[in-house]
Amino acid sequence: MSATAVHPGGGLADHIHPEPQGFVKRYIFSLDHKIIGIQYLITGFVFFILAGLLAEVIRTQLLTANGGFVSPDVYNEVYTMHGSSMVWLVIIPLITGGFGNVIMPLQIGARDVAFPWLNMISFWIFPVAGLMLYSSFLMGAPVAGWTEYPPMSLQAGPGTSMWAAAIFLIGVSSTLTGINFVVTMYQMRAPGMTFTRMPLFCWAQLATAPLLMIATTALAAALAALFIERQFGVPFYDPTKGGSPVMWQHMFWFYSHPAVYIMVLPAFGMISEILPTFARKPIFGYKMIAFSSMAIALLGFMVWAHHMFTSGLAPYLQLPFMILTFLIAIPTGVKIFSWTATLWGGKIHFTTSMLFAVGFVGLFAFGGITGVFLAAVPFDWHVHGTYFVVAHFHYVLVGGSLMGIFAGTYFYFPKMTGRLMNETLGKWHFWLFFIGFNGTFLPQHWLGMLGMPRRVPEYDPQFQFWNDFSSISSYVMTLSILLFFINALYSLRNGKKAGPNPWGGRTLDWQIPSPPHYYNFKHIPTVYGLPYNFGQPLPYKGLEEELTDSPVHVGAH
Amino acid sequence: MAVASLPHGTAGHDGVDQLYADTRALRLQGMLLFLVSDCILFSSFIFAYLYMRNSGQGWPPPGISRLDVAFAALNSVVLFGSGATMHYALENWKHNHFGRYAFFMLATIVLGIGFLSGQGYEYTNLIYKEHVTWSGSGIFGASFFTLTGMHGFHVSVGVLYLIILFLQSVAGVYTKDKYFGLTAGTLYWHFVDVIWVVLFSIFYLI
Repeated sequence: MSATAVHPGGGLADHIHPEPQGFVKRYIFSLDHKIIGIQYLITGFVFFILAGLLAEVIRTQLLTANGGFVSPDVYNEVYTMHGSSMVWLVIIPLITGGFGNVIMPLQIGARDVAFPWLNMISFWIFPVAGLMLYSSFLMGAPVAGWTEYPPMSLQAGPGTSMWAAAIFLIGVSSTLTGINFVVTMYQMRAPGMTFTRMPLFCWAQLATAPLLMIATTALAAALAALFIERQFGVPFYDPTKGGSPVMWQHMFWFYSHPAVYIMVLPAFGMISEILPTFARKPIFGYKMIAFSSMAIALLGFMVWAHHMFTSGLAPYLQLPFMILTFLIAIPTGVKIFSWTATLWGGKIHFTTSMLFAVGFVGLFAFGGITGVFLAAVPFDWHVHGTYFVVAHFHYVLVGGSLMGIFAGTYFYFPKMTGRLMNETLGKWHFWLFFIGFNGTFLPQHWLGMLGMPRRVPEYDPQFQFWNDFSSISSYVMTLSILLFFINALYSLRNGKKAGPNPWGGRTLDWQIPSPPHYYNFKHIPTVYGLPYNFGQPLPYKGLEEELTDSPVHVGAH
Repeated sequence: MAVASLPHGTAGHDGVDQLYADTRALRLQGMLLFLVSDCILFSSFIFAYLYMRNSGQGWPPPGISRLDVAFAALNSVVLFGSGATMHYALENWKHNHFGRYAFFMLATIVLGIGFLSGQGYEYTNLIYKEHVTWSGSGIFGASFFTLTGMHGFHVSVGVLYLIILFLQSVAGVYTKDKYFGLTAGTLYWHFVDVIWVVLFSIFYLI
């Protein structure tokens, strides 16, 4: 490699080390960020199937007002495990460890993340923690909901300790990933890629990584205290021994509110890549989208107590938490506005990925608006602990994060596998999912307004019609997800060959072969501008040999 | 990790090759971020302690006497002293004075063990003379033993870490220009010191 390609922080970036040999080193204990990312995706989707089945148990139970599908005790276990798995084993690993690992180093023009070994360890903690969590079914799974408020979580069976240990471990994995990503993005960007030229997906990961690092450790402390109290009787949360159950709520939500942004910011990032690509137009307000992610991450740490308006929080604290929460609507609104303006006047290609991206914008905006409702103290008093809350966060997490994950899967599947997913099946997936999703969760808003509490196995017969509507719609949603898995498995072998850049993307990841070589780039390119200026020449130099058969100088400069 | 074993590198300033400079920058930032997240772990428990302390039953709670400030202060001096010796150890390494480095490094390890012994003595006194225990003394025992125990665990890990670093430096793993391990060890040790400043203040002084 020529000496001119050496960048200021250079020796590391320019070095290609020999390809690992053997199946185990290449695909099991791989150090390659792309393989590790795909491992995250596969594991995450397996847990997604389990969590989805649990969701269907919930909806089937609620088909009739008297329940009867499972016993009330089992029902408690089912919704607790559904929530815990969806948050910690599905969405967070898929969207940070999965897509973050596969795409982020490619987009910044790096050969790998900063600490490949740490990355491998982060991944392998995840399936172990997942199995630990599911093993709690054998000893009486946790029953107090995914939030596990004491004193109930102190009184439940041994599965709750297992829950705490498993979530603690998955938190360690998240923290390590966060550290890894921050260092990678700070130190390993290609020459010329200043922060204000970095693709928006990377900006989203840059906003998310500190949340992973800081918020998750706070949760670790809360979980450790819960575990210690349950196993050794050391009082933290038990009010009869001087502890405080409200303290758990503070510590839990200090993590779990930022966790909402951990789950949705990377989806924002993917949407910001997909919309300009399929509208064939520069993204509107690049800097505003980038900085609003940072603003959301920062504000996310200051609003946790809005989950606790009915927990005896002092009135003089309720007002600032309400106002700070309202403030988050501003950077979020900036994003929604920028995305809409990106579409305006664009030449829009409605691929499956684009459908999911546009669907995301609408559904997330809807969920965001009900979030503003809930932030208002008097309204929250009325609907706290009802199905309104359930509907709200499913609009944000399913209509938002999960739609983002689907959009990202259709978008990046060709980069990861070299083959396109089937568009016809994909469009069936989108429309069935979109209709099924809205049918499932839209009625829950008025069920909640009318006073149907969440987490109950039986309910007042007056709510029967809309619950049936919701359950039947959820079966449609499940069917659509089945189509998605069939599509992915089918396309893995039989999909159309994608070529390096099937969508006409302009970020660095699209300028190299699909799937990329283990070393990503033959030569680290130099970056001269923003990636989103459609219609102008690409702002990169040094990519000429990427798609040719020119040899790679392994272990040399 | 592959990067560390690479023999190649473009010659940079001061004869340190560029590859090492890059690796060092990555690891330094990684280490600092790890310490940040560790700091949050302590902060969360400190929050829990202050929250429970302010729950209205007075502090220390009825039936428990105040902690012995004099002994803890002496023990703190031992730990802060070890921070100073650690600093001199690294400085002497940078200036290639191996003998003085070894002296200060061993002094740090001895002082670290001294602090842990002091903590052990204090625990023994509390548990056997004053009958204050982890699980049997309400929120006082819970917060005191959890936080100081967590800190003590960090000191123990630190002592082991320093012993390993010392053996590595004797075995010639580090050179005058390439000594990231020693930098990381020093950072960790200072971090543990700083945490103790906070714990000492909130448990013994206020």
